[in-house]
Formats: sequence, C-alpha cells, structure tokens
Amino acid sequence: MADESKSKNRGALKRKDDQTAALIVAQAFIVFSAIYWFMQIESVRELLQLAYG
Amino acid sequence: MFVSMFTSYPRTLVVVAALVMMLVLIYGGITEAVYPMLLSVFEWLETTWFGVIGKTWGAAFAFVEAVHLLGLALLGGCVLAGDGRLLGLVLTDVPVNTVVERTHRVFVYGLVICLATGIFMACGVATKIYYLSVYWFKMLALSAGILFHFQIRKPLLSHDIHALNPVVVKMVGVASILVWFMVAATGRWIGFSG
Amino acid sequence: MNELIYNLAVWLDDTQWSTMLHESYYMYNWVESTHVLTLMLSLGMLFLIDLRMLGLALPDVPASRLAERLNAPMLLGFAMMFITGILLFYAVPVRTSQSLWFRIKMVLLLACAVNAFLFHKRMSESVSTWDIEPKAPGRIRFGAMLSLAFWSIVVVCGRFIAYDWFDCDTSPNTLIDIVSGCVDGQTRF
Repeated sequence: MADESKSKNRGALKRKDDQTAALIVAQAFIVFSAIYWFMQIESVRELLQLAYG
Repeated sequence: MFVSMFTSYPRTLVVVAALVMMLVLIYGGITEAVYPMLLSVFEWLETTWFGVIGKTWGAAFAFVEAVHLLGLALLGGCVLAGDGRLLGLVLTDVPVNTVVERTHRVFVYGLVICLATGIFMACGVATKIYYLSVYWFKMLALSAGILFHFQIRKPLLSHDIHALNPVVVKMVGVASILVWFMVAATGRWIGFSG
Repeated sequence: MNELIYNLAVWLDDTQWSTMLHESYYMYNWVESTHVLTLMLSLGMLFLIDLRMLGLALPDVPASRLAERLNAPMLLGFAMMFITGILLFYAVPVRTSQSLWFRIKMVLLLACAVNAFLFHKRMSESVSTWDIEPKAPGRIRFGAMLSLAFWSIVVVCGRFIAYDWFDCDTSPNTLIDIVSGCVDGQTRF
C-alpha cells in the first residue's frame, strides 16, 4: 500500500518535471523563432527598400 | 532544499543549465575561439571518400540531395501528423498516444536518412559551408531539434497525454513544428548561399 | 508538338512577370523554398499512407481512417506544390520545357495520378475486409509501392532539373536532344 502510493507519487513528480522542462524549452523555441523570423523578414524588407525605395 | 529540488526536477534543471550554457557559448566568445580551429576539420572532410565523391561526381551529389529531400518529406510528414494531432488538427479520432508513438518510429527512419545523406553532402561542400552562417544556424537548429525531440517531447508524451496540461502539450506541438521548419528552411537556404 | 511547346514557352518568357520572377533573388528563392518545403506536407502525408498499407507505419490505426484523415492535408500540400511549381515553370519556361528531367517528371506525375485513382478505387472496394489488418492485401500493397517509387523518382527528377548536364546546348547526345524536345539549342534561356 505504502509502496504503491510512493511509486504513484514518483510518477506524478516525474510528470511534473517533464512538463516543466517541456514548458521552458517550448516557450524558448517559440520566442526565439518569433524574433528570428521577424528579424529575417525585417532585414529583407529593409534591403529591398534600399534597392527600390 | 537544493538537493530535494535536484532529485525532484532533474530534467528541468538540466534544461535550464543547457540554455544558460548555450548563451555562454554564443555570447562568451567561445564560438569565436573554436571557429578557426574547425577549418582544418572541414578541409579534412573534403579529402575523405565522401568528400571526393561529392566534389567530383556531380550526379551522385544531386542524387543524394534528392534522397535527402525524400528523408525530409518523411521526417516532416511525421512531425506534421504527430504535432498536428497534439494540436487537434489531424487524426482527431485516433488516440493521441497512438499517433505520437507510431509517428515517432517513422520519424526516426526519416532522421536517419537525412543525417546519412546530410553528412555526405556536407563533406562534398565542406569548405563552402564552413563560411556560411546559415549552415551553422542549421546545425544549431538541428541539434536543438534532435535534443528536443528525444529528451523533451518523447519523455513528456510517454505519459498519459490526457493527464498533462493541454497548454504545455500544444506548446510542445508548436515548438516542434517550428524547430523542424527552421531546420528545413535554413537547410534549403544553404543551397542559395555562398 | 515541340515547336508548339517552345512557342508557348517563348511567349511566357516574353511576359514581364516571368522576367521579374526569374530575376528576383528573394521572390524566386522563396517560391522555390515553398515548393521544396511543402514536400513535408504533401509527400509526408502520402508516405505515411503508403507505408501504412505496407504495414510499416501506424499499423494499429485503421487504414481507411488514416487515408481519409490525411487526405485533406495531403491535397492542401499538393495544391501548394502545384501553384509554386507553375510559378517556377513560369519564371524559366524555355529552359524548363526543354529539360529532359522536367519531361520525365511530368510523365511520372501523370502516372502517379493514374496510380492514385486506381489505388483509391481498389481501396474503397475492398477496405472493409482488411481495414484493421496491419498490412493491406497484395494488390493494394503493389499500388502503394508504385506510388512510393513514382514519387521518389519525381523528387529526383525535380532536383535534377536544376542541373545542366543534358541542357540542349550542352548535351551532344541526339537521342537526349530529341526527348528533351530541343528546338533552338537554348539560345533563349
């Protein structure tokens, strides 16, 4: 009985850990991608503006 | 307190440490220090069998490029189907754990095809790509994608997905699609550069 | 026939938009990249369906359900490939229409379409008897293998179009020149 609740608790803890790690990385990727693609598009836009006015 | 946090949240701590280390690598001048040393490695790559074949036999190189694209299609298809399911966009009437697990297996085939053909292609044009920032960017995105897929996405989704926070699951789906799109897009841009 | 195609290509080439698209570094490369990256959607879904029939992917998902559910994203992908493909042809019409690889690719695309039609017909006729089996029956598996083979060669040919080995002005081989439909030895590019 005690063992069962212990392993259940461990499973929940692992899930929480995996979830927190995933949250941190996923938001880092999303924020980074947003900044990266924004900068890419912006730099091309500026270049084209320089070339064609 | 610290010890208990370490034992309870090992993956989270590793992730934070990895992110911090990446920032240190990029902004701490370490990449600038290592970069010149890598030139000899890339020059050596061109002298290997792969490098010689890739450089002198154009048709073989082009064929391997096409196989690389087929691998990309397979890999991308699995990512879109698996993450599309996480986002509730496709295969909504198939259990989410089934879709994620089965597409993962095929994803590995696609990744192996892409890596094998990618290494061959890299050897053939090693001294060209060495100078391309977009190539290094692709390698960064690829490493991030592989680590994310095997060390974050897979362990997370091996739990019962219904017991997870749906927002986190959806964010993982979006992040996975973004990172593989980044890998593919920067990869395609290598061909247009240099 | 070749003259007709050639004249059509020259006419397309003379339009202002064709030149603009051809000479625009970013626009042309973006269209090209979209064409290539959409492979993940179109061929990605197609490969999953075909591999399912061969028992190599998602074997415990009913075949008809997988094929039906992935059909919409696959067709969306093919629509995007078709539009960007036409734009790519429009940007460089004369060279492309006289390209050996482009011609093989077009013939294979027709073969793919016929195969897909037959595959679909055979599948809907018999699927109720084997839907939950991990492998489809022999005839369906043959169709799936043909589809994988045809599409793989389509990708190879598509990639080869970019190379000039058999361009009309470079290939000394008359047979290849005939198949490529060379008209002017590529004085027009």
